[in-house]
Amino acid sequence: MAVPGEENNHKQGKLEFALDVPFPSTREASIAFKSLIPDREPRKGGISKEITVSDSTLSVRWRADETRILRVSVGSFMDHLTLVMETMEAFGPPVPV
Amino acid sequence: MTVVIGFEGSANKIGVGIIRDGEVLSNPRRTYITPPGQGFLPSDTARHHRGVILTVLKEALEEAGIKPDDIDCVAYTKGPGMGAPLVTVALVARTVAQLWAKPLLGVNHCIGHIEMGRLITQANNPTVLYVSGGNTQVIAYSERRYRIFGETIDIAVGNCLDRFARVIKISNDPSPGYNIEQMAKRGKQYVELPYTVKGMDVSFSGILSYIEVTFRSVCFLQETLFSMLVEITERAMAHCGSQEVLIVGGVGCNIRLQEMMGVMCKERGAKLFATDERFCIDNGAMIAQAGWEMFRSGQVTELSDSWITQRYRTDEVEVTWRD
Repeated sequence: MAVPGEENNHKQGKLEFALDVPFPSTREASIAFKSLIPDREPRKGGISKEITVSDSTLSVRWRADETRILRVSVGSFMDHLTLVMETMEAFGPPVPV
Repeated sequence: MTVVIGFEGSANKIGVGIIRDGEVLSNPRRTYITPPGQGFLPSDTARHHRGVILTVLKEALEEAGIKPDDIDCVAYTKGPGMGAPLVTVALVARTVAQLWAKPLLGVNHCIGHIEMGRLITQANNPTVLYVSGGNTQVIAYSERRYRIFGETIDIAVGNCLDRFARVIKISNDPSPGYNIEQMAKRGKQYVELPYTVKGMDVSFSGILSYIEVTFRSVCFLQETLFSMLVEITERAMAHCGSQEVLIVGGVGCNIRLQEMMGVMCKERGAKLFATDERFCIDNGAMIAQAGWEMFRSGQVTELSDSWITQRYRTDEVEVTWRD
């Protein structure tokens, strides 16, 4: 899938972090994806984040220059992902469309 | 019949409210209160909101006796406010909107306050004084916009009060402003402070610096700050030929401010409207109410446009629900 979640800051960072999150269904992965991509990364040079979804897997790839910046971004994303998943757990499954 | 659920969490209050055609069905809220001497920081506030938001959402549905299927629209605060808390709330709103297959609506926080004030007080077309920890604006409606007639050129009046409360280390429970108001009642001596009205606007950062350095007592602080607010409100009323004042925002709970504004209104033969702490202080129902108006006039926010923003001017929104 294309890269709507990509930040165009710095694609050449020397540090990388990859995350792949399985969901119970394609629909749920898509819901999580659409909830997580609209907000812009708080402006900081030296970090790029790319979120994609493929079938029922949500994938995130980070590139950063410094560990501190990478840690903050990954940590933040994990908090957001957890909240989205908890919401889906508490108020799902998605209604039939 | 239109039912809207609203999510609010732009500062330290997290609230979820449900409105059905002008009736508040539920409006639960939690406040992140910091120890005396400390303000609330974005990441800690967001963490607080993450911890309670789903509980508050369940409460809102149960109290209202509403099932997700009954809801017509999911409204949430798009901005302005603190980034991390705004994101937290938007994430939940986007997720439930998709789970329940309902349209989403991003609401301007200031307009939420205004629309709730209009609903509760039934004020017709008031000059609005919006005063809180994050905002200080004098607003009047004209030709499809809530126009800002005057505002703070630096910090909000509530911010001035809250930061002074930190200096003198009074409790932040239930809010620093409330505790300042109680202390001020015991004040006996008026001390003159810098009075910084700038035409239609006001400035508070200089007063804050002054009292941080020179004084420890708070009793007179309200008198000066509120006089300035009354002056710029009166100026806007004169410009607009308005006979109504509506005070909204957390600082609007302050009875002394209402008293002082009331004196000015009486002198002009105008009417003063204010709401109580359920609706003055940030809450979910106000977002639902603004959402209700926007939704009924045909507005909807696409998911890809649902990003939050820390800066969002009141006059950026086209007020499609009023003539």
